[in-house]
Order: sequence, then C-alpha cells, then structure tokens
Amino acid sequence: MIWHPILLSLQVTAVATAIMLACGLPLALLLARRQFRGATFLEALVSLPLVLPPTVVGYYLLLLLGRGGPITEWFGWRSLFTWGAATLAAAVVGLPLLVLSARAAIAGVDPALEHAARTLGSSEIEVLWRVTLPLARRGILAGLVLAAARALGEFGATLMVAGNIPGRTQTLPLAIYDAVQNRDYAQANRMVLLMTVLAFLSIWVARRFEQPRRLSTLSSAAEEG
Amino acid sequence: MQANGSAFGGVTPRLTADFTVRRPDFCLHVRLEVGAEILVLFGPSGSGKTTTLSAIAGLIEPEEGGITLDGETVFAKGRAVRAVNVPARRRHVGYVFQQYALFPHLTALENVAYPLRGPERGVRAGELLARMNLTHVAAHYPFELSGGQQQRIALARALAAAPRVLLLDEPFSALDAAARQRMQGELLALQLELGLAVVYVTHRLEDAFAVGQRLAVMRDGRVEQVGPLADVFRNPANQHVAEIMGIPNLLRARVAGADGDGLVLDWDGLRLVVPPQDIATGSSVTAYVRPEDVKILYPDRPLVDAVRFNLASGRIVGSNPHPGGRILQVLLSNQHLIEVRHSSYTYVPLGLQVGDEVRLSLRREALVVIGQA
Repeated sequence: MIWHPILLSLQVTAVATAIMLACGLPLALLLARRQFRGATFLEALVSLPLVLPPTVVGYYLLLLLGRGGPITEWFGWRSLFTWGAATLAAAVVGLPLLVLSARAAIAGVDPALEHAARTLGSSEIEVLWRVTLPLARRGILAGLVLAAARALGEFGATLMVAGNIPGRTQTLPLAIYDAVQNRDYAQANRMVLLMTVLAFLSIWVARRFEQPRRLSTLSSAAEEG
Repeated sequence: MQANGSAFGGVTPRLTADFTVRRPDFCLHVRLEVGAEILVLFGPSGSGKTTTLSAIAGLIEPEEGGITLDGETVFAKGRAVRAVNVPARRRHVGYVFQQYALFPHLTALENVAYPLRGPERGVRAGELLARMNLTHVAAHYPFELSGGQQQRIALARALAAAPRVLLLDEPFSALDAAARQRMQGELLALQLELGLAVVYVTHRLEDAFAVGQRLAVMRDGRVEQVGPLADVFRNPANQHVAEIMGIPNLLRARVAGADGDGLVLDWDGLRLVVPPQDIATGSSVTAYVRPEDVKILYPDRPLVDAVRFNLASGRIVGSNPHPGGRILQVLLSNQHLIEVRHSSYTYVPLGLQVGDEVRLSLRREALVVIGQA
C-alpha cells in the first residue's frame, strides 16, 4: 500500500528533474549571460510559482493541459489526471529554485575565464562545457537538489491537475493527506518520517554543494604536503 | 618624427591593426604594426590599452577598420571592404590576461594542456611547464601557486596554443620587484628564442624600459607616438606624450626672436636660448629640460662654454633623496618651479640646504621644444 506512492513519487521526481535541467539550465544561462529586453519579465515569470498559491499554479496548468488547452489541441496529449500531469506540476514548481541558483552560479564565473578559453581555441559549446558549467557546477547541483526536493513534495497543483487516484496519480504527499483523512496514523507517520528525512537530506546535500570548494581542496593539498 | 607605426626598421609586420572602437563614452582609434619584437603599449589607465588587445584577440568587435595577423585578414569592416570577423578561437592569438585568468578548476598541467589536442597533449604541456621551470607544481591548482608561478602558467598556456602574436596585459604588475625582473628577463629570452611578436601593455614606465624595444604611447584612445623607446623618451612628439612619460620641467614660453646662438624664448621673464629652429616669432611653444640637464653653478668657478647660456637664479624649496644624489625643487626668479637632479659628488661639497640661493644653467642643447601650444 505504501510502496506504490513512493515509487510513483520517485518516478515523477526523476522525470520532473530531467525536465527542469533541460529547461532550467538554458534559462539560467540566458538570464546570467545575456542582456535583453524582457529579461526581468522572464525571470519574474519563472519565479512566479515560488510565491503563487499552488492552487493558482494548478489552475493555470488546468487551462494549459485541459480540454481546449494548447497542449491537448496542438499535441494531442491528454494528460489530465495522469502521472504526466503530476510530473509537469512538479517541474513547474521546482524550476525557479534551479534557475535562480544556477543563474547566480553562472553569473559568478569570471567572464575573463571564458574569454581566455576563446582565445585558446574553444568554441562557445566548448567554453560552456569545459569552463562555465564546471565552475558553476556546485551552484547548479545545489539548485537541482532543492528543485528535486520541491518537486517530490508537490501537493496542491498536483491535486488539481492529476487528482488523487490511488494506484495511478497518488504521490507520497497525497497519500499522506489520504492517510490522515482516513485516520490511518500509523501509515501517515511512516510516510511523514520518510518525507522529512528526504527533505532534510536534500537541504544538507545542497548546503554541502554550496560550500566553497577551496577549503576542502586546500586541506587535502596540505595533507599531500 | 614618426607619428604612427607605418615603418619600423624594415621588419615584416606580423600584426597590423588599424581600427576604431566606439562606445557611448569613449572612442578608440588604433594604428599599429608589430614585427618579431616586443612593442610596449604604454599609457595611463583608461587610455584604451586593454580594449586594443581585446579587439586584436577578437573578444570585442571594432566599428570599423582592419586587423591582419601574419598576412591573414582576421577583421575588416567599413565602406568598400568585405566584412571579415574571424572568431577569437580561430585567430591564434596568445592572450595573457591582467589577473592571469587561469582556470581555477584545473591543475597547472591541465591549464597548460587546455588548448592542446590529441594523445600527446600531456607530454607537450609537460615540456612547456619544464621550459618555465614549473614541473614541480604541475599537479597544483592555481590558488596554491604564487603570483609569479601563476604568471608563468598563464604564459605557458598562451604559448601552448602556438600563437601568431602574444598579447600581455599588465603582465607583471602584481609581482614583487624581484619576481618582475626575473619574469621580464624570461620574456625577453622567450621572445628571442621563438621570434614572437609581442604586444606588452603597461602603465609603468619602468616596465617599458625593462622589456621594450619599441614604444607606442596611448592617450584618450589614440596612439600619440610610436618609435624606438629611447627616441620616444628623448623626443616626445607633443606635450601629452611628455606628460604621460613623466617628463618634468615642462614649460610654456613665447618665441621672442632669434639671434646668433639660436632661438630665443621668453619664459615669463626669463630669457632662454634653444638650438636654432624654424618657429615664428610670437608663437607660444612648449619645451622641457630634463632635471639632469639643469646644472647648479659653482659660485667660485668660471662659466664653461656648455653652461654659459640660460642662466637663472632661484631658491631651493625642496630636496628629496634619489639614487645617486638628490632631486631639488628650485623656485626661479620668474616664480616657476624647476626640478634639478643633482649627483651627490657635487651636492655634498656645495652643502646645499633648503632655503639656499643657487645659480642654475638650463643647458641650451638639452632645452627641447616639443610643440606649439
């Protein structure tokens, strides 16, 4: 009974994380390295799910995914009340955490290093791959972990677009809600404990990533002599 | 006198640059030719030196002009020319940035190997490190290295890409005097060994003298004068160059006429004779005399021929030690200050003190008129 929500949550989180990485990294690069009209607007738009009530995000997603919405009309993807809709909801609410963290990390990379790479024969892709991303890696990973944790815990928007169908769209947070409604506190306790541990771990890992690498390498170098 | 870089001793140019960069608050116009030599680009900060290097390297795009490297046009833009803008990665320009710009996530060896390709890259990078005497720090990260070591890694990395021209932006300014001197020696040796074309940007005149063969003086986005170092220093093309080069004792005078000894200037009441030259009476000119060419006259000795012109009297108002002697500030009778460099072997017997009256001679041959104001 408890296993299905856990597995579904992991599946939703994994796919949502992949989507966030694919969309969030280019967005972060764009916001960090290009000055263009509407940059502030784009950033506000991406950050909106951080402050909007989940029900509002869910409502917009309903419009987007529902009958007559662009996703159904143009792509023929009927996703409402499937795990696909849950995944999309999770990705949308997690995305700002990744974008903001990754953007800060990329903006922190000295442009002189990218210039140096160009004069040394690197193409723009190579500059990104060999210089910018490795140097911004820690900030990007920290953002990714937090975004994944947020996606794992997504409740409100998921409820609106995917429903709460046991065995089909019932993720861990929804299962906790159901367990409490049904006064099945033993079940609820187990799942609450699991969520708490996962959330704590992700914060801890993210903090570890954010800590400057200097100190650790400095001490290891000192040990080598 | 050469006002631009169009001739420099018959050496084939490796780099030619003639371009204009326009920014809202700044306009840069550069005309340079560089052969297998070290050209020092000298000027105060904000004069456009770094922007010049960035344009040559292809990191910024000038509004118009042309740049060629070893005969290949890497940039061209303007009326009646086909636009060319070879990206930085294909220009093969070695660029050593002011703060070195070493990749902090790579070791010294990995930094040097960065531009290299193929299975031999590790070996080749190792050779370059050995050339710079840095084999012992190959596995260190940049933050573990001293400024001088970082500098040499940056140089080795730039050379690893087999550049057609090497650009150095204030390369040794962060080093202490001893390390700077050593690096300058290494750079001179490298330039000779590899026959490199080097553009060396600095705002320190000492650096220019330490490495420079030719000097290009920049000011407000323009190349004011290009020529062999000693020439530029001895014969600044105009007052700006003289001021940038830190030449003291600039004076503004009026041409009063000419006599058998030369041109006669009136410097606010002081009569000065300079070697004969063709300047109209009544015009205003700028001239200078180097502190070492202002002689203090011994009161008890007859005037020898060399110092019989341009006599002036004044009072010592300042005295600062200087290697091998002192620099005196003398307030002349026409209320202008003049700097006098005085070696200790004359200073000591004369026993000069601040407040003493002295008689000076501004040597006629050393009084140089550099432009009409």
